Amino acid sequence: MTLWILQTRQGESASIFTKTFNDHRDKEILFAVSIAVLTLLITVGTIGVGPPGAFLWFLALSCLEAVMVWRGASEEERDHLREITSSISTTQAGRTVGWRAIALRTGLGIIFIIWGISLMSRVSGERDAAAYVLVGASALVLGLFALFAPWWIRSVQDLSMERRARVRAQDRADMAAHVHDSVMQTLSLIQRSANDSNEVTRLARQQERDLRSWLANPEMFGTQSPTPRTLSQSILDVESEIEDNYDVSVEAVTVGDAPIDDAILALVAACREAALNAAKWSGVRDIAIFVEVESKQISLFVRDQGSGFDPATIAPDRQGIAGSIVDRMRRHGGTAVITSSPGAGTEVELRLPRTSS
Amino acid sequence: MTSQRLPTVFLVDDHALIRAGLRAELSGHVDVIGEADEVAAAIEMILERSPDVVLLDVHMPDGGGMAVLRAVTKEQPEVKFLALSVSDAAEDVIAVVRAGARGYVTKSIEGPELVEAIARTAAGDAVFSRRLAGFVLDAFTNRSHDGSCAPALDPELDQLTPREIEVLRLIARGYSYRDIAGQLGIAIKTVESHVSAVLRKLQLSNRYQLTNWATERHLL
Repeated sequence: MTLWILQTRQGESASIFTKTFNDHRDKEILFAVSIAVLTLLITVGTIGVGPPGAFLWFLALSCLEAVMVWRGASEEERDHLREITSSISTTQAGRTVGWRAIALRTGLGIIFIIWGISLMSRVSGERDAAAYVLVGASALVLGLFALFAPWWIRSVQDLSMERRARVRAQDRADMAAHVHDSVMQTLSLIQRSANDSNEVTRLARQQERDLRSWLANPEMFGTQSPTPRTLSQSILDVESEIEDNYDVSVEAVTVGDAPIDDAILALVAACREAALNAAKWSGVRDIAIFVEVESKQISLFVRDQGSGFDPATIAPDRQGIAGSIVDRMRRHGGTAVITSSPGAGTEVELRLPRTSS
Repeated sequence: MTSQRLPTVFLVDDHALIRAGLRAELSGHVDVIGEADEVAAAIEMILERSPDVVLLDVHMPDGGGMAVLRAVTKEQPEVKFLALSVSDAAEDVIAVVRAGARGYVTKSIEGPELVEAIARTAAGDAVFSRRLAGFVLDAFTNRSHDGSCAPALDPELDQLTPREIEVLRLIARGYSYRDIAGQLGIAIKTVESHVSAVLRKLQLSNRYQLTNWATERHLL
């Protein structure tokens, strides 16, 4: 029967209950309090004085829940709870429900409580004690419920709503602060280098990229992209590095993605080299990178529509193309093909077979 | 493109600076017949003036470009939309194209390219930026994700032909339509019809990847 009481009461307070267990480190306190209460109960029970056991159990449980609610609440929530409890529940609800309903509920509640207590206190070892306690306890619970349920529900709702609003406000404040800081900084830099149009372009581009990546992925902000873990992330790094160091705009389009491994690192390094060459020599401002990850291979293209060159006129031992691109790809089982002709731009085509998956 | 009359263009963008910039870049190449900076005015004026092409900013207050697109397309389906945006977030792009835009370009596009894109839109062809081509390739051919994509219900709409994939790849690599035609040994008109076919599939297909694509992207 105690079990039965326990269940109803717990069901009623489920949200606070779970909150205590999930959100806070108050389990220990809760545990300590329950031990204390249990000890008290058992002592009183064995001595055999005071009101009957069931009533005591019920009382103890309510105490425990109260403690739980109190500990489970944060500082502001406690203030809020104080505010709610200070203006007495029934009068508060009165504004919305109307006095007759309040009076009815209060009356009913009190009658049920008194009836329940009196029924339970009659228990003194008779055969049908259990039935008395059962009816008495249900009456008691019903009475308490009638009295406090609206207030209880409302306060629980208020608390969770308030918490959500606070989280949102915090997010907004963080975002505003970030945007403000970085944009202000860039603006002041732009003012200082107003005569240098290349520098201004570079700053604006950098700021734009910053904001973009941050908007796309706010939780990543502040970590300053530690080590890229996927191919597309490292391609983005190449993109920003080259845009920052040369006055060009690099646009990378990636289809699919793959985790980083040695071969992919080599592919990215070769891509970086190709893009660097394009930035230095092509004479145009736009460099296009396209990466496609398929199950059997990864293809990567770096293209500019600039001056181009005649591959035959380049000495075969020239480090840039030979070492950094072709050999690097070959070492990892890939290929590099450079297509270029004077006046028609350059395209570097890198292919890497995929061993895994 | 060789028509005697310049295409009429209507600008919808909530930033006055952008509108001014567009006007300056387009002047002489197209006939800008109006502009609006908010949704309700844009709908009213577009319906009144029936331009060939609406250059539409995707991100605007009050429901944004999508609201304009839907409202106008319902009344005058012959008005063509070219979406213009700073954002290249996949969900925006896919959404605006599926709502009926004939193409999508980013605001970093250079003047002459934009003029060409407008002409192409006015002629009823599709305009794919490199990024949009990448998106479509990803959505229609993504095999690397989990392999559990729903079977193609309608192969006609849910799959790209090998040629279409080739064309999209070349667009994504930065080739112009002319370059693509040269590379594949086909006529520019053929390239255009491939791209239009892809656009139609993009708009009509119910591929799981298209409807759930945005969410998938966030999971990556």
